[in-house]
Amino acid sequence: MKFVVAIASIALAAGLVGCNSTAAPEAKETTTPTAGGKLTGALEVQAFQGGYGIDFYQASAKEFEKQHPDLKITVEGGPRVWESLTPRFANGNPPDLTFPGWGMKHWDLAEEDQLVDLGPALDGKAAEGDGTWRESFDPQILALGQLKGVQYTLPYYVMIYGWWYDPEVFKKNGWTVPKTYSELLTLSDKIKKKGMAPITFQGKYPYYMIDGMLLPWVQSIGGIDAVNAAQNLEEGAWNSPAMVQATERIVELKQKGFFQEGATSMSHTEAQQEFVQGKAAMVPCGSWLFSEMKKTMPATAKMEYFLPPFIDGGKGDPTAVLIGIEPWMVPTEAKNKEAAIELFKYMTSLSVAKKFVQEKGTLMAIKGSDDGELPDVLKVPSKTLRESKAVYSVQFRHWYPALSTELENGLTSLLNGQLTAQQFCDRAEAAADKVRKDPNITKHKV
Amino acid sequence: MRHSKGRGAFIVAFLSPAVLLYAVFLVWPLLQSFQMSMYRWRGVSRNRKFIGMENFQNLSQDPVFWKSLQNTGMLLVLAGVVTIGLGVLLAHLTDGAGPVRKFARAIYLFPQVISLVAVALIWQFQLNPKYGLVTDLLFRVGLPVRDPGIVRDPRYAFGAIAVAFVWHALGFFVLLFSAGLKQISEEIKEASALDGSEGWHRFRHVTWPLLWSVKRTAITYLLIHILTVFALVFVMTEGGPDRGTETIVSYLYEQIAKNGQYGYASALAVVVFAVSMLASLAVLAYFRKDPTAAAGARA
Amino acid sequence: MKGRQWLGTVALTAYLAVIVVPLVWVLISSLKTSPEIFASPWSLPAQPKFENYAAAWNEAGLAKYFWNSVMVTVGSLAVLIPVGAMAAYIFARYPFPGSKALYAIFLGGMMFPNFLVLAPLTDLLRRLGLSESLLGLGIVYVAFSLSFTVFVLTGFFQNVPTELEEAAVLDGCGHLMVYQKIMLPLARPGLIVAAIFNGLGLWNEFNLALVLANSENIRTLPIGLANLTMARQYQADWGSVFAALVIVMLPAFVVYWRYREKIYEAMLAGAVKG
Repeated sequence: MKFVVAIASIALAAGLVGCNSTAAPEAKETTTPTAGGKLTGALEVQAFQGGYGIDFYQASAKEFEKQHPDLKITVEGGPRVWESLTPRFANGNPPDLTFPGWGMKHWDLAEEDQLVDLGPALDGKAAEGDGTWRESFDPQILALGQLKGVQYTLPYYVMIYGWWYDPEVFKKNGWTVPKTYSELLTLSDKIKKKGMAPITFQGKYPYYMIDGMLLPWVQSIGGIDAVNAAQNLEEGAWNSPAMVQATERIVELKQKGFFQEGATSMSHTEAQQEFVQGKAAMVPCGSWLFSEMKKTMPATAKMEYFLPPFIDGGKGDPTAVLIGIEPWMVPTEAKNKEAAIELFKYMTSLSVAKKFVQEKGTLMAIKGSDDGELPDVLKVPSKTLRESKAVYSVQFRHWYPALSTELENGLTSLLNGQLTAQQFCDRAEAAADKVRKDPNITKHKV
Repeated sequence: MRHSKGRGAFIVAFLSPAVLLYAVFLVWPLLQSFQMSMYRWRGVSRNRKFIGMENFQNLSQDPVFWKSLQNTGMLLVLAGVVTIGLGVLLAHLTDGAGPVRKFARAIYLFPQVISLVAVALIWQFQLNPKYGLVTDLLFRVGLPVRDPGIVRDPRYAFGAIAVAFVWHALGFFVLLFSAGLKQISEEIKEASALDGSEGWHRFRHVTWPLLWSVKRTAITYLLIHILTVFALVFVMTEGGPDRGTETIVSYLYEQIAKNGQYGYASALAVVVFAVSMLASLAVLAYFRKDPTAAAGARA
Repeated sequence: MKGRQWLGTVALTAYLAVIVVPLVWVLISSLKTSPEIFASPWSLPAQPKFENYAAAWNEAGLAKYFWNSVMVTVGSLAVLIPVGAMAAYIFARYPFPGSKALYAIFLGGMMFPNFLVLAPLTDLLRRLGLSESLLGLGIVYVAFSLSFTVFVLTGFFQNVPTELEEAAVLDGCGHLMVYQKIMLPLARPGLIVAAIFNGLGLWNEFNLALVLANSENIRTLPIGLANLTMARQYQADWGSVFAALVIVMLPAFVVYWRYREKIYEAMLAGAVKG
């Protein structure tokens, strides 16, 4: 009992300190960002250890600790950190701030009231400058963390999806980057004649192809609305003409023998290894490709980004870019929410974000973070994003995992020649219909 | 020791650690499995909702469940016929003198003590379309195994799982039938001396029926291990291509890890439990009577 | 008859090749570079690349997984064998009303697939504060290994002649003394059989560990191995994955080679008698 009282009083004390800090923010503006009030106690951060590691978060935490000497921050993580975090959420002892990675069902967390609404915090002052915290984010990217208007999660880095080629190889052979699908066909013919596989893909994980070919081509043909109608489970959207025609392009490439032999069996790293070793000319992947492959890349290999070839005559936007985020969140049952929010505010300040861009070679959700000289691998993705008139994002995968699984299974059968494009789309529509009719699945809207 | 002092206390003291551990960590969760199968629970909070038999109703209409059940059954039959057939044959072959036989007896059980994950990886690598040894061999004899690759090809993936399982488990069946043959060798001699049979005829009418208790063990073993075959599927095919190798347990794992449907997964578990119990009882009932006693083959 | 003998030897040699060739191939591949592996499955490494082992052991974290496996296996055995032996002794020598039924319940644990209770077991460990810990995994291992252990050891205790026990009682030994001084030494071969068999089983265990202990620091070798090839941090270094395979199999092979007679015995104990 004494123990409980002790815990309760600590929590209360932490809460009071929190109140003070929001009621009377200290006006101590310096060149380094500060988080305002006096933060105390322990702060636990659990982060997904992906291609970008967790060293940057650890370094940021160290810096933040210097400004708040009464705060003791620990930053830990692992490549499958969500697996240990899920039971902690269920058990009521989650960390204070977490970036649980792609495997976490974070919408389940949101629906079960396990995540703090970060909206009010966003309306507070930013860590740097005069604006609100909200204003420092790109609003379109911010919207990816909302459910029914509540901001459950916040973005950090931004991933850009597209295709990759080796400019040296293309120059040597006199090939040009295919801007349209018909150009892709012509080019692939040439590449194949050279004895090289035109396209390889991560067949063991079919979502790479969904993000790299299917949805971009649906966008080409029917516009972003066609993609989002499908994500919003609108009736007939998964077997719409745009969806069927986009699927037919995949079948066509397969039938013409433009995919690398055995690619359906390849894991992401296997397929990408084929690409960097020059066995295949192009591969669809996100902007993390370089950091994922740099260790096993031959020294002579180069890689450069380009937008998926646009379907000729489509009514979509040829400049549209598919983007993705991996969200951060503060659990409802966190013990030090105030400090967690302030730490993340600090991490998303422009100067820290710029440092992340430079060190990790990725774009960020923070406005202005890609100003100035960028790392080589980022130059083209950044330019593409700046020149794009619209962006869109794959959200249904986390909303409706069963639909996503069905889609991936269907794609495998499509590639194995067991389904036609129409059958594949009908199956996707049936899966969407099942979700639509299940009252126990919370529906989301793009 | 029947009436000695302190007997009761001794029994309690010696039995309670085992009973406690067994009850708390095995029996109790098993009972809870039954209970949880009537709830909806996503495993990320304390919220769970009682929904009665809804999970079971959904299960009965879930084509993937039936597909996985069918796959599991097929694997049982396929692997069963192969392992028992080869097991009996190899038990005969490994018996006797000579360096090859001696070496065979020393090595044949090794695949059985390798972790199933390692077994799965060994086979996944051997079947890799790029650098796999087996793929290369099969390709050389003219089979189209390079595209899409054996484990992603609906024609071969299921066989690949079965082959990996047989490679892992066969040694056990050889051992089992070797021991069985030794145990009954005297009876065989006597019986065949009586009716003068030999060779295939002797095997068919004397040896095979006498192996009944070994067959019972073999089938029970298969039942348990095939029903729970998971690591092979998880590593080699992840249930694919397109559910082609989905088994009940890999589907159960998907429900927990991918969909967060703990209640539904529990309902699946209850069904598997019922199936395995019924099947085990059927095996026991079928082999309950010593069939050789009635046939009069026993001397 | 001679012809048939010859045919048998050929068939047997083929069987041995099926067992041995994949293992040798893994061994050879573990010494190749990634490009060499891709070039041809049959080629030998130009120069054995032992760095693959260093990479697997250090960078891929196998060292940590290895010690986790050692700890959880040894720790579980240290509890399992005494606890199992005590229960088996009672079942073998101290019949009491209901003991047959209790024994049957214990044996039932061998009959059902452990995967079935994962969801409630995860929940239970959470409530006990044992989730994602080697201690929790070890306790579960003990509980799930009791069936086989009790079964095998009961058989051994039953075979100890009663005369010895009676003589000891006449000498004034109590229940505990008889167990410690007479029974345990006599059942030693059984204890060894149970320890080896359970040890191998737990060393290789996958299903339970995958769900109950999957965070980075407490991962056991089989999970670490699966993760190495599946998780996203895997850096396309195939040579070291093959090396990792060898590292995982090596201890099992050593134990197997040294104790294979005992293993045969253990497997048969669980089979022919049942």
